[in-house]
Amino acid sequence: MASVALRGIKKQYDGNAVLDSIDLDIADGELVVFVGPSGCGKSTLLRIIAGLEDISEGVLEIGGRPSNTIAPSARGIAMVFQSYALYPHMSVFENMGFALKLAKVSKDEIRERVARAARILQIEHLLDRKPAALSGGQRQRVAIGRAIVRKPEVFLFDEPLSNLDAALRGQTRVELARLHRELGATMIYVTHDQVEAMTLGQKIVVLNAGRIEQVGTPSDLYERPANRFVAGFLGSPRMNFFAAKLVGEQGRGAVIELAAGVRVQVAADVKRAIKGDRVTLGVRPEHLQIMRPGANADQHAGIQASVALVEYLGDVILVYAHVDGASEMVAVKCDADIAPPSAGSRVELVFPATRAFLFDGRGCVFAPAWLEGASAPLAQAL
Amino acid sequence: MKQPSQLAWTVVGVVCSVLLAGLWLFPLLWALSTSLRPEHETVSAVFHWLPRVWTLDAFRTTLGAGNLTRWLFNSALVASLVTMITMAVSLGAAYAFSQLRFRGRALLFGAAMLAFLLPFEALLVPLFRTMNVLGLINSYAGLVLPQVVSPVVIYVFKQFFDAIPGDFREAAVMDGAGPLRVLWSVYLPISGNIVWAMAIVTFIGAWNNFLWPFIIVTSNEMMTIPLGLTQTYDAFGVRYAQLMAAALLGALPVGLAYALFQRRVTQGFLAASGLKG
Repeated sequence: MASVALRGIKKQYDGNAVLDSIDLDIADGELVVFVGPSGCGKSTLLRIIAGLEDISEGVLEIGGRPSNTIAPSARGIAMVFQSYALYPHMSVFENMGFALKLAKVSKDEIRERVARAARILQIEHLLDRKPAALSGGQRQRVAIGRAIVRKPEVFLFDEPLSNLDAALRGQTRVELARLHRELGATMIYVTHDQVEAMTLGQKIVVLNAGRIEQVGTPSDLYERPANRFVAGFLGSPRMNFFAAKLVGEQGRGAVIELAAGVRVQVAADVKRAIKGDRVTLGVRPEHLQIMRPGANADQHAGIQASVALVEYLGDVILVYAHVDGASEMVAVKCDADIAPPSAGSRVELVFPATRAFLFDGRGCVFAPAWLEGASAPLAQAL
Repeated sequence: MKQPSQLAWTVVGVVCSVLLAGLWLFPLLWALSTSLRPEHETVSAVFHWLPRVWTLDAFRTTLGAGNLTRWLFNSALVASLVTMITMAVSLGAAYAFSQLRFRGRALLFGAAMLAFLLPFEALLVPLFRTMNVLGLINSYAGLVLPQVVSPVVIYVFKQFFDAIPGDFREAAVMDGAGPLRVLWSVYLPISGNIVWAMAIVTFIGAWNNFLWPFIIVTSNEMMTIPLGLTQTYDAFGVRYAQLMAAALLGALPVGLAYALFQRRVTQGFLAASGLKG
């Protein structure tokens, strides 16, 4: 297995920058997920690593070897395509053995390696079938098997689960995680689905408009997003954002004023900002709490809102509300055991100061600060 | 159960189909009927649908004339060579235009398609002069070479290749296949039906080609069937029974080939059109 290093990678199409100064290190045996919205450049980056796209600028190293000009088949890489790309005229066995046949591997060894891969993926009974006779999940396994037989240094997955139904996606995710443990392989996985990213990745690379927004473990990105984009991209429903103005500091935190004049406290270090600066408050749906008007006796008032919609999901209830003075709806995730407010009712939204994020005018997060008398932010019972 | 109006339209459709089929079949049946008559009956003032005297004399004379078998051989050889070379050239060109990226690709493709605008008749003189300079007049090479470039076939293949998902090519590249290997192992098998269809159409076109052999061939031995048929005359004029017998014998191989591969031709055109069929 091998490490992958990207140094200053840039990619342009007709003068338009698709990727801009990508620097990334992927350790040997790591499962890294590239995630981001459509058009962010994640698939282009994967194709660059595969050798299917040229690099405009920068250096790609695979196993410590500069690989910019090395042919795709000589990079020690195998790729699983979104569409599986199984040759329709070949049987499963022939599909899996095609690369070995081109490499002039002996027929006995081809048979042995295909059989081993088929055993791992439990597709031994499908070897004589053509792709048209397979289900989506079976084709997925054959595509993975085609990659495994080549014994690559790095596996590349380009949105491999996007053509599967929800149930099969969940099942296959577990299988992929098992495969990674079993093979100990370096894997690079591209997806637009943040659930796949959070559940599969040991390390997640969040991309946006050709740039890396943040790299970290799933908990790093969720608990300590570097900017508004990452904060809003991960989490479902996504983080709620409120436009605000910085009005002062209190203790080691900040006081901000939302639309409709409501002032709230946030545990953020705002020393690099000045009073009056435009900021954005971010609170995750699970950290917002609903109180009936008048029930909140705290010094800082809650955010006034009207309930628009209540969604019952079985284990949780999602309450969508219009905040006074704001155009966007906010989402609140509530325990299904608690009776939710009805649509149309007035509510007050409160949140723990240490569970909110504050972003500056450029979308960068203010570092968390502990309020006077409070213990470590994440441990505070609220 | 069909509605009366639907039934009426079905009847109209069947009647029209039968009439059209009859119109198409009539020349063939008349040729067959003529070939089975004695020569004098073909110019009789009295009209008969069927021969009054049935005879195979025309076929006997034609086959015994000496050169029909040579003409059949020439037609088979030329048509086969034209088909094989046209397929090879067109597949390679179509694959390059469809899947490869190189400077001038669009310009080159446009130039190849411009040939659509030029009727073959306009190229006769320059082609003849070229073959003359190369010393290929009255030769198999002279017969074959000008027929092996077909913009239509290139275009059909290119359109088909364009519709094949690029993932197949990329997967093959990742597996270690070069461009020719990708064409041979991936694109050709996927395009099987359309290749058969184009091959058969090209073969029939080359077999039936009269104009170019008429220009390039100067000896009886090098003639192809369509050209050879013009030789069926004697001091008394055209021998119609022999002419029809020669025409039927000349068309027989192509007719049989089409009958054998008709399904592939239909599937090929359906595949090219995107219909399920």
